[in-house]
Amino acid sequence: MEQIGYTSDASRLDAVFHALADGTRRAILSRLIEGEASVNELAEPFSISQPAVSKHLKVLERAGLVERAIDEQRRPARLKADTLLEAVGWLVDFRPMWGTSFDQLDALLLQMQETDQIGTDT
Amino acid sequence: MTDLPTFIVDREFKAPRSLVWRAWTDPKLLAHWYGPGVETVIHKFELKPEGVWLNEMKMKGGSNFQKMIFKEIEEPSKMVWHHCSADADWNVAANPMMPDWPRKLLTTVTFEERESGTTVRLTQVPLEATDAEIACFDQMKDGMSGGWGAGFKFVDELLETLG
Repeated sequence: MEQIGYTSDASRLDAVFHALADGTRRAILSRLIEGEASVNELAEPFSISQPAVSKHLKVLERAGLVERAIDEQRRPARLKADTLLEAVGWLVDFRPMWGTSFDQLDALLLQMQETDQIGTDT
Repeated sequence: MTDLPTFIVDREFKAPRSLVWRAWTDPKLLAHWYGPGVETVIHKFELKPEGVWLNEMKMKGGSNFQKMIFKEIEEPSKMVWHHCSADADWNVAANPMMPDWPRKLLTTVTFEERESGTTVRLTQVPLEATDAEIACFDQMKDGMSGGWGAGFKFVDELLETLG
């Protein structure tokens, strides 16, 4: 399997988790899926200041999820789609495995009992 | 040994213990619920000490393989297995996505009959782990219980958008 762009580096891991733990940053990522945007354009819908957006972008950049154009004056932020996809694929593997599985077991047990019920009734 | 990070999850199911045991030990039923929202294929399932459970979870970026080796089976109250991450040939191997994730986890599940249903406790402790593996497990374990719910929900949404 292809190595994810970064190593198992615990700090890198922290950066991705930290980046995704914040609602505004998740919203920024969602917006960037539609295309690149300047700090100005990002600040508008979230009714937060441009410096605050810049700060969020720095966190996303550090996590490798976003990149900023260097030469252009408005320095639009772009999604690093590959990194994001990799990171997401990786995160999915570590979704609360047992919590989610147990929800599914719950549903199955309910179903099994209903079926048993039908079996004994008829 | 006592300072190893331990992952514990308790859950109560509204079903008699015999049924919970069946859902856990019939590979067809097990494949149905095991794995967080992924397709699970159970390639082999030998419910006896030293028997193996070869498990494939079909993830977005490719399959994820686990080899479980049963150690204790006490129907219907307890099972113990070594939970190993594996490569596609079922050799115990580091998870390529996360090399420091413990390759082996000692997993203990107990089933307790209650009036209202069955209480299940699942415990996982790194086994024969390196310091890096122990640190990684400790960190992930804390992260998982630290309210990642919204983050993971976002991941699901992203997969729908990007997938």
